[in-house]
Amino acid sequence: MDYFFFIDLIQSTVDGLLFGTTYALIGIGFTLIFGVMRKLNLAYGAAALAGTYIGLVLFLTFDAHPAIVFLASALGSGAIGLVVYLCCFRFTPTHYPMASLLASVGMLLFIDEVVIHASHGLPYPYPSVFRDAIIEAGDIWIRGDLLFVFFMCVVAMAILFWLLYRTPLGLATRAVSQQPRAAQLCGIDVTRVNMMTFGIAGILGGIAGAMTAAAVGVLSPVIAMGLTVKGLIVVVIGGLGSIPGAIIGGLLVGAAENIFLLLRGVTERDIYVMLLLFIFLTLRPGGLFGSAQTRD
Amino acid sequence: MKLSTLVTASVLALAAAPVVAADKTINIAGFGASSGVVGIFGQNSGAAMAAAVEKINAEGGVTLADGSKAMLATEFYDDRCNAEEGISVLRRIASTDALVAVGPTCSNVAEPLFGILQAKVDDAGDTGLQFPVFTDVAIKGGLAGISEWVFRNTPSEATMYDNLFAWIRETHPDAKTIYGGVEEDFAHSRFTWYSVMKTAAEAHGFEVVGEAQWLLNDTNFSNQARGMRRAEPDVVAISAHPFTTCGMLREMDRQRIEPKVLVGLTSSSSLETLTGCANEAEGIIIPTSFAPVNDEAKAAAAAVEAKGGQLDLHSASAWENIMILKDVIEAAGIEGTAESLEEDRRKIRDGLATLTEAPGLLGANKRMPDGEAVKPYVFVNAESGNWEVLHNPGS
Amino acid sequence: MDFYLGLLQIIGVHTLLGLSAYVVLLTGQVSMAQAGFYAIGAYVAAMCTAMFGFHILPAILVAGFLTAAVACVVGFPALRVKGLMLVVATLAFGEMVRLFFFNFTWQVERGGELIGPNGAEGFRAIRFFPENGWEIWHVTGFIWIVVAVVMGALWWIDNTRAGAVLRAVGHDETAAQSIGLNLTAVKVGAMTLGGMIAGMGGGIYAHTVTHIEHLVFGVLLATFAIAYPILGGLGSVFGTLIAVIFIQGFLVEGLRFLGDWRSLLFGALIVLAMNFRPTGLLGERMPRIFKRRTGEKLELKEAE
Repeated sequence: MDYFFFIDLIQSTVDGLLFGTTYALIGIGFTLIFGVMRKLNLAYGAAALAGTYIGLVLFLTFDAHPAIVFLASALGSGAIGLVVYLCCFRFTPTHYPMASLLASVGMLLFIDEVVIHASHGLPYPYPSVFRDAIIEAGDIWIRGDLLFVFFMCVVAMAILFWLLYRTPLGLATRAVSQQPRAAQLCGIDVTRVNMMTFGIAGILGGIAGAMTAAAVGVLSPVIAMGLTVKGLIVVVIGGLGSIPGAIIGGLLVGAAENIFLLLRGVTERDIYVMLLLFIFLTLRPGGLFGSAQTRD
Repeated sequence: MKLSTLVTASVLALAAAPVVAADKTINIAGFGASSGVVGIFGQNSGAAMAAAVEKINAEGGVTLADGSKAMLATEFYDDRCNAEEGISVLRRIASTDALVAVGPTCSNVAEPLFGILQAKVDDAGDTGLQFPVFTDVAIKGGLAGISEWVFRNTPSEATMYDNLFAWIRETHPDAKTIYGGVEEDFAHSRFTWYSVMKTAAEAHGFEVVGEAQWLLNDTNFSNQARGMRRAEPDVVAISAHPFTTCGMLREMDRQRIEPKVLVGLTSSSSLETLTGCANEAEGIIIPTSFAPVNDEAKAAAAAVEAKGGQLDLHSASAWENIMILKDVIEAAGIEGTAESLEEDRRKIRDGLATLTEAPGLLGANKRMPDGEAVKPYVFVNAESGNWEVLHNPGS
Repeated sequence: MDFYLGLLQIIGVHTLLGLSAYVVLLTGQVSMAQAGFYAIGAYVAAMCTAMFGFHILPAILVAGFLTAAVACVVGFPALRVKGLMLVVATLAFGEMVRLFFFNFTWQVERGGELIGPNGAEGFRAIRFFPENGWEIWHVTGFIWIVVAVVMGALWWIDNTRAGAVLRAVGHDETAAQSIGLNLTAVKVGAMTLGGMIAGMGGGIYAHTVTHIEHLVFGVLLATFAIAYPILGGLGSVFGTLIAVIFIQGFLVEGLRFLGDWRSLLFGALIVLAMNFRPTGLLGERMPRIFKRRTGEKLELKEAE
């Protein structure tokens, strides 16, 4: 245990925690959708990526300010989220989840290919802010842009909480996620709530996509699959339908990933992350904050 | 298109039809990924092949065994960089009247594809497919040895990097240490660092002080860059695709790692790296088998651009392949009839196998007995958003 | 002609992959581990023939049984969870297998060359078929005999009590449990059978492409494995077959002339298909022509 190792360990953990907020956002998106619809939307990561590309178009054509680029990414992703809902979930039977699952796979392939077709698969630079700012605390460096990413993600989560717990819309959403039929009987328009949820989840995904791209500085279609898989892992660790769970899960995955990278090298890193998840799942099937599974 | 133009064109086409019908057509099929994340490679190759064929046809086409002229024709098939699809595409090409195939673009398609071909010519016990393949893009070292039906016109990375490090030794005598960066889960990047760059650097007296490893779709490089920062290398060599190359270069920039020399992977000397991160890539040195350094190369680049593609080191090989095949077709005495199809394919294979030298855009390519090529090359570096020739060993 | 025989090989191999997911889907579980089982089968069978000189038939059987054993062992912990949790748990397992082969190097010398899995660079020269004088139609014939045996066996199972048990668990676990079915045994059994089929499919796959590497066995392949039976419909084994023909024959091969527009249509057509035929191309029920013969049993099952 020499000094460098200790520094590396702290540094890796800090980086991982900061980066983990993007995983948390994706996880929240999955959890929201799963909460209200009890269905898995595999096109989610791809929609987030496509939204990020919408922001990129503004950046490349008008050299828009990063704030506008981020906003456009988020809103664009929200809009694509609605399209995904209409194409994959609105008209497929609710009692047969396989149909919407496969439709969202088709949508995933389609969105991915549209993005690739438009961009020729080339990586493009994505704007970021505070990219040269570094806070140096002794031998530990904290990246300014990652701090910004962290801050943005926290703000997004705060707004989400306000939306869910302080507005009528949030009340409706929570009602549908608890008991869709009862909510309907109380006069809540379930379809509208579902659409709103997809829109909001899309916006969160767009923010996560934009923040990932801003942290790397480059945007390429290859990140979609990573976002999807990481998001799923986060949801499961945190517990289905639990937003605090998704946040903690995201931070945990981010940190674990970086620590295993340091300890075991890159080729074995993901094996350990997966193994951890597998063990976690079998020992605690409900996730960190999961409620006991009940029969619908 | 206006109706009148359409009518005129149809009339002309009808009038010309008898003449065309008397002529024969020699089909050369192209294949590779033209959709998906690496689709740009196939799109460029397809454009380069189409442009080269157009040039040859404008100059009168190719001469067949009986002295008659034939036009070349080409069609490009998409394999999506998928092994099964690549095999299926080649079988489909073999079922048409194409004499030879140019492709594929991905090394992970090339390996299985070459495996289904007959390993040794005239080996009756080997039922592999008998069809000549002349590869343009798939670059991972040593693949042509898999089958005697395979020829490649890809640059020899071993030669290029050996000379590059010799040149760096000469121009930067004070540089002593090297640090490698490699994308671990991609066969080509891995092979190039461990078997090509590292060997070449050590041979020229550089001390390898460390290796940074990451994966194809990684987004966080801070751990890797930190190791690099502590080693304080004089030279940094990165063997990765443009996306992670850009990510890593950004992180190096952020952690203020400033090596004296920065070396990149051959296939990164394309437009991708520059669209991705022109600023960070500034100064990166890459050996490449193509740069528009002479009139012929410039004319070819313009012709390919007119077809909607880019001429880079990969698509330049596609262009050269068509030109080489024209010579081979003329020298081998191809008959070009439906009955002679099998024989003609064999003749093209034998013709390619006997070549010891072939013309290229930067000068003559040496043809090796195992089907590989050693091509002339230049060292380019990224300079204000363009690839500029830094050193031309041939001149 | 060779081209069509080659296409039939691809369809055959993918049918095995799809059927392996079909068995598990019957019990209502979405397993993303099939690509992992397929990878184990591919590597094991390839090692048997290329490194140790086995014949293809024992190699595939070894691959099948070994993969079945792995699937059984994995099934116990994994099937404690269900729904989305199971999707992710099996996904994690599949990725673990892939990453294992990514790090796995074991080469032996045969005929002056090193042969065997070589980490990230893959496993080259699995040339049992061409080296032993198998013509392409031999290979195609061999694959389809295996496919026919597997489909026949599954068809038979489907029409016995075992099939009804599988579907009962898939339809309503609590109800199935209350009539005395052992859920764990049924699910693990389905997982084991699915693993065996995937292992055999993977073994054949390795030999048709001669070179395998970890990247092939990723999440995308796992997604395709479950896509086939869902797209085709869970009514019978023929749904999977139809879906494989639709995807590999029509979407992949048939539309190749469209160039890069083909990939765009690919996803869009799957979305359309699921909107218009949500329960799959052939639907949830067994096709009518087959129904007549086995009608009675089915009526019983549907009545429950």
